[in-house]
Amino acid sequence: MNCQDFEKLALALARNRLLDAATRAQGLAHAGACERCAARLAEERVLLAGVRAVVVELAGEEAPARVAATLLAAFRAQTASAASPTVLPLPSQTRRWSSWKLAAVAAGILLLIAVTAIFWRSASSPKPPRDERAVLPAPFGAPDPQATPPKLVEPPVGRDQVVAKQPENQRKRVRRQVSRDNSDEAEVVTPFFPLREGEDLTALESLRLVRVELPGSALSEVGLPVDPETANEPVKADVVLGQDGLARAIRFVR
Amino acid sequence: MTQSMTSSDAELLRLMVAGDEQAFTALYRRHQGFVYRFALLMSGRANIAEEVTQEVFLALLCKGRRYDPARGSLSAYLYGTARNQVLRLLERERPYVPLVEESDEGAAVPLAHLIAGDDPLSDCARNEAIKLVRQAVLALPARYREVIVLCDFLELSCAEAALALDCPVGTVNSRLHRGHALLLKKLRAAARLDPAAPDAQGLRCFA
Repeated sequence: MNCQDFEKLALALARNRLLDAATRAQGLAHAGACERCAARLAEERVLLAGVRAVVVELAGEEAPARVAATLLAAFRAQTASAASPTVLPLPSQTRRWSSWKLAAVAAGILLLIAVTAIFWRSASSPKPPRDERAVLPAPFGAPDPQATPPKLVEPPVGRDQVVAKQPENQRKRVRRQVSRDNSDEAEVVTPFFPLREGEDLTALESLRLVRVELPGSALSEVGLPVDPETANEPVKADVVLGQDGLARAIRFVR
Repeated sequence: MTQSMTSSDAELLRLMVAGDEQAFTALYRRHQGFVYRFALLMSGRANIAEEVTQEVFLALLCKGRRYDPARGSLSAYLYGTARNQVLRLLERERPYVPLVEESDEGAAVPLAHLIAGDDPLSDCARNEAIKLVRQAVLALPARYREVIVLCDFLELSCAEAALALDCPVGTVNSRLHRGHALLLKKLRAAARLDPAAPDAQGLRCFA
């Protein structure tokens, strides 16, 4: 046996594990003849003695009684709710559900941004003049006579002029004026819901309004009630885009 | 209750899933100490060990029916869950985990003091040495630390550790050797047995 072979056995020799008598004898014989390997074995033994000392010291360590009490309460709650379809409100499940909810909200916002970015691109491409009617100054916040009024571009063809001017810090119901040459029914719209808290929209040079369709479940993103039966049906929405193409606010249209 | 204490893990688990509270209590009493100590040795923090223990048994409550005895012992299953929880919590609290205390000038203790002595001074030195060992284990990378904790401190076989860690036995063996080498290096450096603090390769003589 050489030192490389011994190195492979040193741990097992120190631990007295999984070695047949012959191999063990060879290893010990090598350690008897080689000072460095003998020191190596002694070091492993001292280390394992230290490990055992720690094991002894921790032998009495157990989880506090409150853990058992919590678990027992969870077990009883689970057993009690076994007959009902209610989800067991265990701490870990609650936390996990919260993470999923958070992820769903994040995914919804990303989807919204992606959709609006697509519309932004299509709106940026050359279009007939009727698509570029600038109509409204600052739909959000108090009008500032010193500031350049943000431009708000109307939704695509066939959309009526939008009156979206709102006093600052006030969600006022925005009404859509029906143009006299349009026979469509008047649309009912919700107030605009800001998508970025605390942002001063009047600071933006221009705003653009685009009409999109979103799943009905998107209503819940802004705290509106959602009918579970129609949650998957598309709903119309107007999204306000900044000049950077990012969505700033949204309102829903019926 | 006596029956619960002598029943196999699989039988207790079956009863627990069926709603037997005593079976759950027996399973908890049987395994909580190991799970708690594993988490304590892995994290060095009692609050993490407590949370891990709770999460492990909550997971057993929720997913116990999915446990397949053919894939390994319940202990290995619980250790595997505990290991994932420990790593998750350590990751979560990484910005707040205190650095492992460096030994000051007077705290360096030779490893030889790990051998029990008869006098109080020897006991004191031994306690310091135990502290050193625990700190050195905590300073190991997680992949080595978990193997050393399972195989050395909790005395699982390499095969059981492999089941708990969901990796081949060979991987456990190699990590155990490498982990020991790193541990000795850290201990030597801390105890200043060898001021040059040679690395693990330096231990070999390759005659």
